Amino acid sequence: MIGAPMLEIAVVALGLLVLLIEAFTERTDKRAVAWIGMSGLAAVLVASFFLAPSPPPTTNGFWSFYTADSLAVFFKRFALVTTILVLIMMIDYAPIVRQTVHGATKQAGLGEFFALPLFTCAGLMWMASATDFVMIFVSLEVVTMSFYALVAFTRRNPVTLEAGVKYLILSALSTGFLVYGITWIFGATGETNLARIGDVLRDGGEQVPALFGMALVLVALGFKIAAVPFQIWVPDVYQGAPTPVTAYLSVGSKAAGFVVLLRVLEPFFVLPQTERLLVWVAALTLIYGNLAALPQTNLKRLLAYSSIAHAGYLLVGVVCLAGPAVGYYFVAYLLMTILSFAVLIVVASQSGDRIEDFNGLSRRSPFLSFAMLVAMGSLAGLPFTAGFLGKFFIFDAAIRQHQTMLLVIGVITVACGFYYYFKVIRAMYWERGSSDSTVPVSALTRYTIVALIAAILMLGVYPQPILNALRPQTAALSATR
Amino acid sequence: MPALLFWTFAAMTLVFGAAVVLNRNPIASALSLVLSFLGLAALFMGLDAFFIGIIQVLVYAGAVMVLFLFIIMLFDLRAEERRRINRVAVVGGSAVSLALFVQICLVVAELRGSHDQFPALPATRTDDVRDIGLLLFNNFNLPFQIIGVLVLVATIGVIVLSKRELR
Repeated sequence: MIGAPMLEIAVVALGLLVLLIEAFTERTDKRAVAWIGMSGLAAVLVASFFLAPSPPPTTNGFWSFYTADSLAVFFKRFALVTTILVLIMMIDYAPIVRQTVHGATKQAGLGEFFALPLFTCAGLMWMASATDFVMIFVSLEVVTMSFYALVAFTRRNPVTLEAGVKYLILSALSTGFLVYGITWIFGATGETNLARIGDVLRDGGEQVPALFGMALVLVALGFKIAAVPFQIWVPDVYQGAPTPVTAYLSVGSKAAGFVVLLRVLEPFFVLPQTERLLVWVAALTLIYGNLAALPQTNLKRLLAYSSIAHAGYLLVGVVCLAGPAVGYYFVAYLLMTILSFAVLIVVASQSGDRIEDFNGLSRRSPFLSFAMLVAMGSLAGLPFTAGFLGKFFIFDAAIRQHQTMLLVIGVITVACGFYYYFKVIRAMYWERGSSDSTVPVSALTRYTIVALIAAILMLGVYPQPILNALRPQTAALSATR
Repeated sequence: MPALLFWTFAAMTLVFGAAVVLNRNPIASALSLVLSFLGLAALFMGLDAFFIGIIQVLVYAGAVMVLFLFIIMLFDLRAEERRRINRVAVVGGSAVSLALFVQICLVVAELRGSHDQFPALPATRTDDVRDIGLLLFNNFNLPFQIIGVLVLVATIGVIVLSKRELR
């Protein structure tokens, strides 16, 4: 039996180990570093199934900052799986990094490129466990700080540099909002611990200043999860960042943002204004994300807008406080997003990342085009895919909570989604491509893609394993209603 | 006497704060910001919060401002001085800050106890450095350790992004 905090310690230690190995073995192939990181993370993932039960929360000290409830453990595993998949994509992406980094040697910078995600992963895991604003702030900054470096990593590419600067400035701005909001909440309630803030608010504490603070915190979290109107950074940063980092941003960073959002909102749902505010944010995010995705011609940009749209569906789940639905949606989102980015990396290294570069892919590589077909179908929400059930659970929760407006907007925007996701499918199967050269796929990527396709189709008909993993925390979440 | 000192330093903070925005020359604004920070530090000292006062001088007036000045040196100063003031931006900016100011005033007015007389400071002086240190290493030990990871990540990031040629 292992204590839950040991998981993060192990991941940080793994990161340090990888950095040291990288520093002392100059000649060896740096991809070995990624392999060590991946196997280490896999070991931690296995260890996460043998956790000792955590003690009840205390009023101060370690367990007032940190919780290992089932929501936290679920998203810790989520972070680990995401990071492993991102490292696999990074191995495929290594040749492009070599071309776009100022390097004295051939493998310059690759070691750091593989080591930074490990620290990001530790930050994501801490975020999943944070129950105190101090802890939330510190762990959020670990994640943000590592993304500053990762987004701008291939800095010889001017588009990447632009993405890095935009992410840095807007993210720093959102951090400012977060700190300012926390100080208002602390000033109004005298607490930074989320549970005790809830107690103070329930006893009729200072509600107006606390709400003001909550709105400011919501700005910062809205930035993290790419909710409208804090989504302006998303398209440019997603397009410019190295593709594995884009996938990491759109899955890992967003998931951790949503866990924090669920935890932060829990005490504030005592106040009715919170729900009204969130309903509007969710509706705007759904409409904006889906409509803006319609005219896109670049696949990375299309996926950026689709990531905004999915944040909208997830926010509907948050408004309805449907923890398991949000958790399931995230698993589906992880699988289909990583799958489409994995295919994108392979195809883009051959031609480019515009949609027209996918023209005739079905002839050049039937395997990749089938993978993309599954990913796009699932993102759009075709039945028998994980994406369909994800949307189904979210809409089910919306009906139960009588959120009619969100339900109607949700259903209409799903129809929009079919149009732009099927644009990619049409390009692959109906359009004629300019070249007939086959697209080579490495063995590791091939296995990963097969596993992702299998997982999407399996979870589309048999969602029980995920729902079971999320079950015990329903009690914790429904307590606020 | 303390009241006089309070008003002096409060005025210093505000006047130089305004000078930051009003100065055309970026270096003059940056130096005004230093003086504004010093006034703020003096206000903290007046409240017996010596640790925060010193930190204010060391971190903000020292480290952050040096960073600002470095960045300003990289800019073309003459282009900045020649730049025309955009009327719309001035009106919009003032409107936003005014709205925020009014909002904060309203929230503070709602705050329970905001109209009460504040109690006088206790005569015994607290050992604030020791207290903060104890708090940091006892109760806040976990976030404190995570900051260690944060600094490591920041160091790696700076090296990766700023080195001319990576090895």
